[in-house]
Amino acid sequence: MSKKLIKGNVALAEAAVRAGCQAYFGYPITPQTELLEHMAIRMPELGRTFLQAESEVAAINMVYGAASSGVRAMTSSSGPGISLMQEGLSYIVGSEVPVVIIDVMRGGPGLGNIQPAQSDYNQLTKTAGHGDYNPIVLAPSTIQEGVDMVTLSFDLADKYRTLVFVAIDGAIGQMMEPAEMPPMQELHPRPEWAITGQGERNEKNIITSIYLGADNLGDFNDKLQAKLRAIEESEVRYEAETVDDAELIVVAFGTSGRVAKSAVHHLRKAGKKVGLLRPITLWPFPSKKLAALADGGTKKFLVVEMNMGQMLHDVRYAVGRDIDVQFFGRAGGSIPMPEEIQEKAMAMLEVN
Amino acid sequence: MSIKNIPLKLTAKSLRSDQTVRWCPGCGDYAILSQVQRVMPKLGLPKEDFVVISGIGCSSRFPYYMDTYGIHSIHGRAPTLATGLAISNPDLSVWVITGDGDALSIGGNHFIHTIRRNIDLNIILFNNRVYGLTKGQYSPTSRQGHRSKSSPMGSIEQPINPIALALAANATFIARTLDSHTKHMGGVFEEAAKHKGTSLVEVYQKCIIFNANEWGDLQDSHKRDDHIIYLEDGQPMVFGKNMDKGIRMNAQYELEVVELGDEFTEADLLVHNVKSKALALMLSSMEWPNFPAALGVIHSREAQTYTEGLELQIADAQARKGVGNLQSLYADADTWEI
Repeated sequence: MSKKLIKGNVALAEAAVRAGCQAYFGYPITPQTELLEHMAIRMPELGRTFLQAESEVAAINMVYGAASSGVRAMTSSSGPGISLMQEGLSYIVGSEVPVVIIDVMRGGPGLGNIQPAQSDYNQLTKTAGHGDYNPIVLAPSTIQEGVDMVTLSFDLADKYRTLVFVAIDGAIGQMMEPAEMPPMQELHPRPEWAITGQGERNEKNIITSIYLGADNLGDFNDKLQAKLRAIEESEVRYEAETVDDAELIVVAFGTSGRVAKSAVHHLRKAGKKVGLLRPITLWPFPSKKLAALADGGTKKFLVVEMNMGQMLHDVRYAVGRDIDVQFFGRAGGSIPMPEEIQEKAMAMLEVN
Repeated sequence: MSIKNIPLKLTAKSLRSDQTVRWCPGCGDYAILSQVQRVMPKLGLPKEDFVVISGIGCSSRFPYYMDTYGIHSIHGRAPTLATGLAISNPDLSVWVITGDGDALSIGGNHFIHTIRRNIDLNIILFNNRVYGLTKGQYSPTSRQGHRSKSSPMGSIEQPINPIALALAANATFIARTLDSHTKHMGGVFEEAAKHKGTSLVEVYQKCIIFNANEWGDLQDSHKRDDHIIYLEDGQPMVFGKNMDKGIRMNAQYELEVVELGDEFTEADLLVHNVKSKALALMLSSMEWPNFPAALGVIHSREAQTYTEGLELQIADAQARKGVGNLQSLYADADTWEI
């Protein structure tokens, strides 16, 4: 296989096609629309389903329906569209239907703008609908990693029968980069729990998220929590660079993660003991790794985000109150420069 | 002296904001903006009583270009914001600016419920049959087979007919006009603004970038009169450059285009009656290019507006129970000593 120069949105769409996505439903929204447009071309030519829905509310519920039939199904959108999907997200998790959503984040709140931002961190990791759950959230920082994460997202969704987000921002969605595409997967057989017609089964399959009675719903929530704890145990992913002797660790994901990486490289060249911790899974969050780093002697953490400090709270919670955790970032659609991160890190290093 | 007492002579120019108008060169939106600005001064209201509310889409940039109050709201939701506003302050002249995607796709639900409540506001629906702002995907009014970035092999879906949809929601005023026929558009806007209740004006609007030829034969001023029928209340449905064609109902209760001459005369043609919902439904089925595009006031009738109904209910309640008193409501309510 060879690398090909490809646009982020198109690459992630093609990765979904190759992962065996059989049904795509979506609604145009900048900076995500090329993803939908690629699906409009590819899905019909492979004999699969593409439908432009009348809204994001319709799209997520069409995905819910398609996934209930046991096929790999997905949608994609950006912040305002994800906000609209919240009802469907909660029902999807409540009825344990595997669904993949690609979120190409833009600036908020409200209409905000169409420039790259990381404004959906809280929405995806913590508030994606009512009830006690977290979706799995994968946050790649390059187009290649995005392709790999889309492939992984369908496997995780199927394995845990849950909701998986792949969160990139408008910069990764819109830029072009060399990437290698995975081979086309065979279509996956429909699982036992799905709505497939009775066939050999003696019992009906009913997809539902209603559990009447306190005991029933309590039992379901216990089961759901056990599943979430298993995900926390097995699925944490991150990239750590030069952290072992670091006085200061920069924590950043996605686009700010790759900018932070440049900053850390520069600082290391200048002889500064600086490391990078780049969460790849935003949920489950690499809390244990961060705690271990803090316990291991790193007393300064700099969180860099393209928002007003959403992941910041998870980092603070992980490392504890005795650690100096500071924030650098801005909402509105600007990408931090490596020099700005270096300056902030230097200022932190100078204080004893 | 209150602001309202300052004498103001409203002109089209005085309704222009300080913003540079940014639509693509050749976009039909410019003409619509200019006609709204010409019509508003004729309504006898001070500038500060106008509110322009939009959703999301190219047309939704409208409030920035009007020197009036405005809300640039949420995709598809402008009718709901307008409902809240119009009911809370019935003195305002409320204008909803929307497009075929905004009003009929994501906002389809709000569109019909606003109309059936007969809220006193004007909806100007820019129909270019394509999503312009997201750069050229098919819309709910795109024709079957329409090729676009999201329907590369042609759209499979049947389009929505906004006029028929509004009639199903019991609309009290429905009109249609064309962006390139500015005089006609201005007249229709004025009628819509004067109507009490929800007025819907569908404007056939050109998206010069993503669907430039959709209304081509209607917009060509040399050819358009053969493709358009201008509806006039009480007048027979005659059209054509030489006024030699007409619309009649045949024995199968279907509309058909006939040539006037020996076989058919004006006496055989339908006579427009804006009060008839049944006729309006038939007219809504006249889709260009199979029929001439029906422009003008398609349907208009008087009916109680939501605010009028609300005020009647309040008056009724007060007649039965007297005018309320908040203090006595607190004092008289059941209370418990704990």
